[in-house]
Amino acid sequence: MKKPLFTADGDVSADVIVVGSGIVGGMIADQMVSLGHSVLVLEAGLRIERAQAVENWRNMPFANRAGSDFQGLYPQSELAPAPLYFPKNNYVNLTGPSASSFQQGYLRTVGGTTWHWAASCWRHLPNDFKMKTLYGVGRDWPISYEELEPYYCRAEDEIGVAGPSDPELQSPSERSKPYPMEQVPYAYGDTRFAEVVNPHGFKSVPIPQGRSTRPWQGRPTCCGNNNCQPICPIGAMYNGIAHVERAENKGAVVLAESVVYKIDTDENNRVTAVHWLDNKKQSHKATGKVFALACNGIETPRLLLMAANEKNPTGIANSSDHVGRNMMDHSGFHCTFIASEPLWIGRGPAQSSCLVGPRDGEFRSQYSANKMIVNNISQVIPATNKALEMGLVGEELDNEIRRRSIYGVDLSISLEPLPDPNNRLTLSKTRKDPHGLPCPDIHYDVGDYVREGAVAAHKQLEYIGKLFMAEDFNITTNLNANNHIMGGTIMGNDPADSVVNGDCRTHDHENLWLPGGGAIPSSSVVNSTLTMAALALKAADDMAKSLAGQA
Amino acid sequence: MKKIVSVALLGLVLSGFSMLAMAQESQLDLIARGKLVATAADCQACHTNPEGGRAFAGDYPIHSPMGTIYTTNITPSKQFGIGNYTLQQFSRAVREGVRPDGANLYPAMPYTSYSHMSDEDIQAMYAYFQLGVKPVEQPTKQTALPFPFNMRIAMAGWNMMYLDNSAFKPDPTRSDEWNRGAYLVNGAGHCDTCHTPRNLMMGSETSKPLAGGMVGPWYAPNISSDPVSGIGNWSQAQLVEYMKTGRTPGKNQAAGPMAEAVQNSLQYLPDSDLNAIAFYLKNAPAVRDPADVQAADSFGSRQVNVEEGLRGAHPSNANHTITGGAALFSGYCASCHQPDGGGSKNQAYPSLYNNTATGLTNASNLISTMLYGVDRQVGNEHVLMPKFGEGSYVAQLTDQQIADISNYVLSNFGNPQVQVAPLDVAVLRAGGPVTLLAKLQPYMAPAMVIGIVVVLALIFWLIRRRRTRHRQ
Repeated sequence: MKKPLFTADGDVSADVIVVGSGIVGGMIADQMVSLGHSVLVLEAGLRIERAQAVENWRNMPFANRAGSDFQGLYPQSELAPAPLYFPKNNYVNLTGPSASSFQQGYLRTVGGTTWHWAASCWRHLPNDFKMKTLYGVGRDWPISYEELEPYYCRAEDEIGVAGPSDPELQSPSERSKPYPMEQVPYAYGDTRFAEVVNPHGFKSVPIPQGRSTRPWQGRPTCCGNNNCQPICPIGAMYNGIAHVERAENKGAVVLAESVVYKIDTDENNRVTAVHWLDNKKQSHKATGKVFALACNGIETPRLLLMAANEKNPTGIANSSDHVGRNMMDHSGFHCTFIASEPLWIGRGPAQSSCLVGPRDGEFRSQYSANKMIVNNISQVIPATNKALEMGLVGEELDNEIRRRSIYGVDLSISLEPLPDPNNRLTLSKTRKDPHGLPCPDIHYDVGDYVREGAVAAHKQLEYIGKLFMAEDFNITTNLNANNHIMGGTIMGNDPADSVVNGDCRTHDHENLWLPGGGAIPSSSVVNSTLTMAALALKAADDMAKSLAGQA
Repeated sequence: MKKIVSVALLGLVLSGFSMLAMAQESQLDLIARGKLVATAADCQACHTNPEGGRAFAGDYPIHSPMGTIYTTNITPSKQFGIGNYTLQQFSRAVREGVRPDGANLYPAMPYTSYSHMSDEDIQAMYAYFQLGVKPVEQPTKQTALPFPFNMRIAMAGWNMMYLDNSAFKPDPTRSDEWNRGAYLVNGAGHCDTCHTPRNLMMGSETSKPLAGGMVGPWYAPNISSDPVSGIGNWSQAQLVEYMKTGRTPGKNQAAGPMAEAVQNSLQYLPDSDLNAIAFYLKNAPAVRDPADVQAADSFGSRQVNVEEGLRGAHPSNANHTITGGAALFSGYCASCHQPDGGGSKNQAYPSLYNNTATGLTNASNLISTMLYGVDRQVGNEHVLMPKFGEGSYVAQLTDQQIADISNYVLSNFGNPQVQVAPLDVAVLRAGGPVTLLAKLQPYMAPAMVIGIVVVLALIFWLIRRRRTRHRQ
């Protein structure tokens, strides 16, 4: 077991230095330590316990629950805050026409944001990799779906994904291996929904999910607690902490509350060390052979920009001036209604089925694709809010809560923004975090491509509403964030307009990788985590080759 | 065709053993019966590595107090398995613990129980392993116990003291069912191997049959007929249900080695055999442990709810508040076992009261269930409670945390007389209590050297004395 070497004053050297301990950092650490390399992981946030999140969730006030506050219950490092909204801490300052649509919730915690994800494990479609070629919009990837496909398989194995074995229900069906587990079974509501909408050209498919539908590698079967977000109380859902702890058990060292702020480069512009501040604000240095920054789509570009040095005056890996540009997220909206029949939404995990008919098509040259999730989160809270708003009391109140909980539908729609260099993360000149490091500013405009996609989606939803003879049919007008942060360290072949190559290796520094969401050059309409994990594994392979002197 | 020839050849080999039996049973029937015997004897549990090993190819590490023993390949591979064994050699290995090369097996192989197996069962099992099992051409890891346990010859002496290799003799005053049960419990089924306590030399304490013993980190409970310490308060049907499914609500659930026994062996036994075992157990001698004051499964609900006293006690973004048994139980256990410990409505998540694991005077099974989880496949049902030890998918709990949860569970749902200390958890985490024999191991080599020096000195002194006397 090869371990990082510490000096008496707290500096350290290791073969592999990983910054960030989410799903991407954890998987890379686990891959590299399994190959016999010494691995150090530096994490800005706290180490937490699952039971703490469970208990905090149980103690959470009604308003936070009703507002889907998945951030507030996670204890925060005072020195490395995550964005909070109840109340707002304004850690990320948002500007631009769609500022309010980019309020991201990500955790700075050992294990990362998959503590409170919903575990959707979608693949991009093969066509998503060729947006420019096929539809004349956005960018092409420097790698093809076929090149990433083996890594999708590996990522699905690592996460333990439950998905459909029927190719008709796979999106996409181009797969070289079956899913590790059979799909999460449709609840009654999913079945009924599919029966009603499918004959009208919609296509309901099960969401591939990182949760167990049978005992899987010691992970218990999901029993439908339905609070995947903000925390699975029984560990049936994959969390990034699994790979972090796996790596630690093999000898990797993870330091929490260690905020990286500075990066050293040598005369060949290879990275030689990163510097971090501990929770007593003492600075230390980690020297390594290969480096991966996996701090999430906002924190990685922020770190690259603030670590600018003499040789890299506009920021590390930023000779293209593309670090922090092309910020994307699946800006989306919700459609709620009361159906004419009971659908009993809320049994099973938080998500289970999704309409994917409009995921791809010729229309993508004109406007955004979409996917529509039949949100399977219990409707009791919105039903209660509405019934109270109606001024009901006593038995009438109870009955109305019951009726709305049973008949209520909530669809979550995701749209596909195009990479736009003007959607940009920069460092605040005035706002500093408690370490004195600049906070991020983000300018965001979802663009007409998404706005027109929303119009098309509204028409589709109105049609669905009619099929269910909807009462209280409502579409939210403000686009909401979905925490799928992409684009800030964009992937491409040309070092002039991209930050990393198809292995997430930076064009500027041959021993620096930036795996994760920031590399994704076309967002598709699906959750980005599985693609991030696949890119992490591909980057890990490249890092291993580099350490072996082969690349 | 090849198979028929082999069967014919086997017939020739066997014919010397018992012509009569052969005449009555066709070869294929014999193989089929051998499979049933091998199932009852649960050869699979140890000779198949559960982590992806091929059937009967061995390499399952048995963590004995003396060190790790790797089980052998018992497929008919001529190079790596038992393909060259004659019936006599097979019989000697199974019933006397001696390999064809004369070396002794360790009693991790339960030959002390198999010694009572009948000639007919041994023949059938031989036929099955030679012809009914696919050869696996792969070697297994070599067992290398530390000195002096690596001296297999020492087992010959041990066998003289602890191996009763008398054939099973039916008791004519008892029913056929009782006798069948006795044969299975103490012979082929080798229940006694784990459930009868062992003495300092790891031999069975024959004066306390089936009175319970440690198996690594797990406790094989007292299954004598005593109503307080044993299974005297279980009905025959409850015992059969337990062996068939690994679970009897209100009584117990099988984990660890017992889950393996149910999964690989007991679920496949005919009901008549399970009933015979249950009948025998209920009518075997009762052994009471004076420390036991009430039956382990008789500790009922005490109407407690862990939520009271916890909810709202801390802000919803608190940290470091999961301290003490109640908070830990609420955060890690109550989602499934419920805040009142009563389990889920359908008892898929079992109640923690009226549960042998929480009511026993020995808390090992409660602790090891948390450390190692429950993993049991019976029929089409796969039961899994996640482990909370190293490599847990849910949370890796410390010795202190597991001790705190244990004490909360014991005092609120189980046997309140029992207390668990972090050291108890550490011992089980390390694989279970270490016996005196194993504890002495590091001193044995020096002790023997000293012994030899003393003997040499004595001889020298004697010779000198003798010479001196001669001179006189």
